[in-house]
Amino acid sequence: MKDKQFWSVAGIIFVLFMIYWYAMEHPFFVAERAVMFWAIMIVGGVLIYSTRMAKRGEEIFLRTIPGLKAVEEAVGRSTEMGKPVLYVPGIMDMDQVETVAGVVVLGHVAKMTARYETSLNVPVSRAIVMKAARESCRESYLMEGRPDLFHDDMVHYLTDDQFAYAAGVNGIMIREKPAACLYMGKFYAESLLLAETGNSIGAIQIAGTASPSQIPFFVTACDYTLIGEEFFAASAYLSREPELIGGVKGQDTLKILGIGIMLLGVVLNFFHDMGWTSWDFLSYLTVQ
Amino acid sequence: MFFKRQLPIAVAATIGFLTLFGWFVDEPIIKSFVDDDATQWFDILASFAIVLGALNLLKLQGMKVLRQRKGWPYAATAIISFAFSFIVGFVLRGSYNVTITQYDDPGRVASVLAKEINLDENSTKNILIALPEGDPYIIETPYFTKNGADAVVSEINAAGGVAQMNATEWGAHISTRGSLFNWMFRFIFTPLSATMFALLAFFVASASYRAFKIRNFEATLLLVSGIIIMLGRVPIGSNISAWFIFYIVILALGAGVNTWLRNRTYTLITVVGGILIVTIAGFYTGWPVNQPAIFYLPVLQDWIYNNPNVAGARAIMIGIGLGIFATSIRYIFGIEKSYIGE
Repeated sequence: MKDKQFWSVAGIIFVLFMIYWYAMEHPFFVAERAVMFWAIMIVGGVLIYSTRMAKRGEEIFLRTIPGLKAVEEAVGRSTEMGKPVLYVPGIMDMDQVETVAGVVVLGHVAKMTARYETSLNVPVSRAIVMKAARESCRESYLMEGRPDLFHDDMVHYLTDDQFAYAAGVNGIMIREKPAACLYMGKFYAESLLLAETGNSIGAIQIAGTASPSQIPFFVTACDYTLIGEEFFAASAYLSREPELIGGVKGQDTLKILGIGIMLLGVVLNFFHDMGWTSWDFLSYLTVQ
Repeated sequence: MFFKRQLPIAVAATIGFLTLFGWFVDEPIIKSFVDDDATQWFDILASFAIVLGALNLLKLQGMKVLRQRKGWPYAATAIISFAFSFIVGFVLRGSYNVTITQYDDPGRVASVLAKEINLDENSTKNILIALPEGDPYIIETPYFTKNGADAVVSEINAAGGVAQMNATEWGAHISTRGSLFNWMFRFIFTPLSATMFALLAFFVASASYRAFKIRNFEATLLLVSGIIIMLGRVPIGSNISAWFIFYIVILALGAGVNTWLRNRTYTLITVVGGILIVTIAGFYTGWPVNQPAIFYLPVLQDWIYNNPNVAGARAIMIGIGLGIFATSIRYIFGIEKSYIGE
């Protein structure tokens, strides 16, 4: 209860919603989705609270993520070898949060390549991603004071098609032999095609994705893999900005909350199955 | 600065709020925005953006060819392929049909038609005769060029029939089976894509080999689980007796005891004792193939697949869900601004 302003706003929203729900009989609201609504409010509230705490200067421990620590190492290796860094931001468009996260990480990688004066190659499969990634790289080079090293063509468009894109990126790998290959975004079947080709040219490979079916392929073929949430924490980890690190702490708090709800669910469901209570907790939680 | 910073954040926040909370609002206009309009707006923007992508591709590949950089023939191939697809899609229709409306002398018309549909004259004649009176005959495969279709029309007309040429409508020419665009798609693009996809089989093999190499406890666990899943899911797995697996488990247990205790006596007792117990139990129960079920491969693989595997996958999924939500909240509230380069 350290943040009075937060709790005041949360309290006001809660009271207003209660008035809307009971006194006004909640017009225009899909009542069956109330559980989901509250879940979003709680999750959002915890994340905002954690972010505010971090912003106020509270010490937050962030465990070492080897994959993210290795990013700088990979860029350093490329610099030593005089070879480029290849960055693949997935094959989906900017409407996928993984792609946005991939572009965000690209900004941090671009800062490193600018700092070390290493060339960066970003082939993309969507035109909107090309524009966003280009802007991200341009800003990073500017922030590092090396706008002279930036050129538009470091982020270039290949094709929208999945396998044609994989063929194009593989071609770049075989011809240019980058020393580091980074795959951060949303991937499908092309993940293994890319990662195995990268492996065959001896590049240090770091992957990050939230596509559960592609994680095993990346784990097998890459040196480091950011699994699921680690990938989304990458921006916080690389930037070390308290607001972003606060969000990571919020996620961990939510995980504890989730575990608590699961345990409670097990107990309540047991009571329901035994006929001791009539309230079916699981069907209440089921999203309509 | 306003257009580069504040405005994009304001747009992202407004649309983000609307799509997130629109899901709970029972109002047709908001529902239609969340369900259809928002995604359609994205598609429209993406369609315009593709021009930027195409121009960038042409520029880069063109520079490569002009400066004859390493791998420039590939760049030239890309430009030629692009030009071909563009011309076939936007300039050439590549799909002209020939319809025969009258054939008073089926024999003569069939002599011309047979060459076009790759049949002998008699079969072609029979097809024409079998058609109900007044029904036209349409040559199924369209012609790529107008001249090609016109030539066939002239030949049929000269043979006493009445034929006419119809061009497929713009737009439909892309999906019409047998059109030039469709031909390119089916006979060039699809095989090339399939080739890339097929490479996966070899890559899966090499990746599995590396993953299954016994280096540590986790790799061993992966190897054993992999073998059980693979064997349990093929017919031979159901023919392997649970008792055979039971014996293997006893031998593995002996190996474990030997590694752990480093005592030959204990190892001997474990192995011999285990084998004796299993053999006596086998004779007692009559060696049923699928009993004890815990050592029967189809049952075992099912358990591994539905329990430890699902537990791990769900844990990852929960983490991903939280990560996605946290990231979205950061964008909606403008906490994370690096996607606009800040």
